[in-house]
Amino acid sequence: MFRLHDVSYAYGGSQAGVAALSHVSLDVAQGEFRWLLGPSGAGKSSLLSILSLEVQASSGMVEILGVPVRQTRRAGLARLRRRIGAVKQDFGLLPDMSVFDNVALPLRLQHRAEAEIAHEVHAIMKWVGLEHRLDALPPQLSGGEQQRVAIARAVIYRPALLVADEPTNALDERQAGRLMRMFHRLAELGTTIVVATHNDAIVAKYPAPTIELLHGHLVRDHG
Amino acid sequence: MARQRYHDGLALRQALPGRFLPFLVGSMAFLAALALAGGIAAHSLSQRWTHGAGAVTTVQVPGPTDPATTTAAMGQMPATRIDAVLAILAATPGITDTHRLSDAELRALLAPWIEQTGDASLPLPAVIELHTAPGQDVAASLLPRLQAQAPGVLMEHDSVWSDRLAALAASLQACAGLAVLVVMTVAVCVVMAATRAGLLTRRQAIGLIHALGATDSYISGRFATRVGLLALWGGLCGSVLALPMLLALSQLAAPFTAMGDAPATAPDWRDLHAWSALLPPALLWMLVIVPPAAGLTGWATTQLTVRAWLRRLP
Repeated sequence: MFRLHDVSYAYGGSQAGVAALSHVSLDVAQGEFRWLLGPSGAGKSSLLSILSLEVQASSGMVEILGVPVRQTRRAGLARLRRRIGAVKQDFGLLPDMSVFDNVALPLRLQHRAEAEIAHEVHAIMKWVGLEHRLDALPPQLSGGEQQRVAIARAVIYRPALLVADEPTNALDERQAGRLMRMFHRLAELGTTIVVATHNDAIVAKYPAPTIELLHGHLVRDHG
Repeated sequence: MARQRYHDGLALRQALPGRFLPFLVGSMAFLAALALAGGIAAHSLSQRWTHGAGAVTTVQVPGPTDPATTTAAMGQMPATRIDAVLAILAATPGITDTHRLSDAELRALLAPWIEQTGDASLPLPAVIELHTAPGQDVAASLLPRLQAQAPGVLMEHDSVWSDRLAALAASLQACAGLAVLVVMTVAVCVVMAATRAGLLTRRQAIGLIHALGATDSYISGRFATRVGLLALWGGLCGSVLALPMLLALSQLAAPFTAMGDAPATAPDWRDLHAWSALLPPALLWMLVIVPPAAGLTGWATTQLTVRAWLRRLP
């Protein structure tokens, strides 16, 4: 769950920067699934970056999973990040690490046992249909495969908050359907999920409450 | 296991290659060892001069066999001036040793002047060498007492030379300290530059594991451990490379220091104790301390550099 109150964000600093979000307030409860909609430049990626603690809001109050971000020290933010999963548009995979190592990375940073890591990675990679590509390097995969690896890495540690930026972009209809079913299953288990998309068809097929942005302003919050 | 090779994605073997940094740190450690050895040698020579030649006072007693001034009055003092002077010296605290030069020693010492005059029967004073304990200045209080018994007694102390030599040694030590400081500064700069290069090489991976919840202390600790070990290895190499040079210098300086003359032959290569005896203990300790000091410097510098760099991340 997260709460934003009067949040603004500007690239290049709050004074002279370019405004990406203006006075956005939101309150999303635990286990909710929300579509994040809006045209390019509406501020969707900025909002997801704030939620995944990739950037700090220029002003306003941000509270994620009960933790006030501005008042929390760096070590506390690091602990909070371990409860947040993020799927980025560029996938964010390390090109010199195998698929296995990329997906195992969050668990290794949590110092899990190697046997447990191997079990979890095999299970999630089987689910995304890439259990046969564990030793491949990301550049050897197609865009859709890389996207599935990025999704696997984001959900392998069962985050409390999952943010995804266009996660179905490179997926075919069948894989996109599987992904949406998984997202809804995670939400039922208590994960708060925000998915940014331009894909009206998938929004229509899997209806859910929406957050809509336009020029950095919140224009619709159907919670 | 191949899968464990990168473990957390930092790939520090790529970011901080294992040759460049140890070579540079090793060179710095080598120079630091030489500079420290110079400082230690200057200190050792200074001690030797101050407590050796500098601690010797010469007493000249003219007419040594003439009667002492107060012999008759006191009725207890030795009959001759030389005996009276020796008795006073023996009873004076702070004097550790006295040596009266024999006639032969005295004539050998004065040979150039005696040969010039051609008069071998020239009456000579008695000459006594006094060794005083370090920090003891007995001359001022002693001279009036000696002159009371043997008028015309002269005392000479080599403090002018020993003071100058001590000042020279102190200057050399300061220069060595400055050199060590410069070497350490350069080493710190080298480590900072190498660390920053490593951070730039792996900035994508660092950004990713930061986003996945790695703490600053985890990331800086990983870099610092790698750099600390490389610097330790470099320091070890520098110390080992400096060892033969220090052994050679130590043997050259041996006659001028408390170690005495160098042995005529090298000890057996398996006899570590004999080899270690060839170096002053301070030099040995210095060689032992340089590698961990290099490792610690590398570790601390990297910690600070990485933590400062990570501040740019939210």
